[in-house]
Amino acid sequence: MRTQLSSAASGIFFRGGFDMPERNTPQKTLESWKQIAAYLDRSERTVRRWEASEGLPVHRREHEKQDTVFAYRHELEAWSRLRTKCPLDASPDESEILPPTEAAANAYLIEHDAITRTMHRYIAGARAGDGDLMRPAFHPSATISGYCQGAEYSGSVEHVFQWISGNGPAPNISPRFARIEIIESIAVVHLEVQHWSGKLAGANARASDVFTLLKCDGEWKITHKLFHWHDH
Amino acid sequence: MTKSEYLTEYDGIVKTIQLYIDGSKQGKSELMRPAFHPDASFFGYAGDKLATGIPFLFDWIDKNGPAPKIEPRVVSVDILESIAVVRLEVAGWSGNLAGSGVRMCDLFTLLKTPGGWKIIQKAFHWHG
Repeated sequence: MRTQLSSAASGIFFRGGFDMPERNTPQKTLESWKQIAAYLDRSERTVRRWEASEGLPVHRREHEKQDTVFAYRHELEAWSRLRTKCPLDASPDESEILPPTEAAANAYLIEHDAITRTMHRYIAGARAGDGDLMRPAFHPSATISGYCQGAEYSGSVEHVFQWISGNGPAPNISPRFARIEIIESIAVVHLEVQHWSGKLAGANARASDVFTLLKCDGEWKITHKLFHWHDH
Repeated sequence: MTKSEYLTEYDGIVKTIQLYIDGSKQGKSELMRPAFHPDASFFGYAGDKLATGIPFLFDWIDKNGPAPKIEPRVVSVDILESIAVVRLEVAGWSGNLAGSGVRMCDLFTLLKTPGGWKIIQKAFHWHG
């Protein structure tokens, strides 16, 4: 069985029926980089790059020596559909240098990279204009606060997802990590995002975001997003 | 932001953080309550247990009681117009729940409101 999910623009195919215990995994998980790569019909190198820079939703189980990865098929499919809708084309060069996920024997780099992966899920959702795509980056009880057009706002992160989906694609956003500070189980990330666009953002807007993250069960999750929209 | 505006904002932020420090030192949550935004959140691990929610924090402060020897240090204050981040290191925590000589690191995010700078989130790491 081979199903093409969406237009040829993405060229991503899903394959079923390869060697994995899918019959007895009700959630349909893929249990390794190899399986994820096979499912997306790409090399392991490419899917690792997608995770690092484009928010491909891959989860981790923390072990003493080495983490293992897994992915949910439905999440990969959702990611792929959105990627097709809003192609990123951040140089699909296969020879690009790998993110240092595996090479990183350094404990700091492992945490740093895990945090930027979480942030890239947020960025990928913002760019595609789909709240569900960024949802895995957040803790379920995350909150947001800040000022938008002079009015103070605070509330559940669900409002971010709604706003992002209502805003639609913002293909030109250029995010920059202004600061990443890690203190064992907590972290703060200051993200500067320029060239926001969309139905709600308007054109060429700039936002400063400060995210607080918590390492929960081996995965970094955003617990709070504090934002400031800059006046034009 | 001009230099004097910066200092005004900086001092306003530190004043808010001082309320937290005063409440921690005396073990009285009522002293720190005005520092927090009504929608503030609280997150962190105390050992293996995830502690969340501002009511948990206030309850903990009251039950912990006085911690007269805490040594708080402001490590960083970053101001981005209407929002700010403060990193606070507190050494020498003691009390009924804290034990003795424990160090805690706090990341406070703050929002500028008409009533002054308010803590909108406290995330902590407990160096147990």
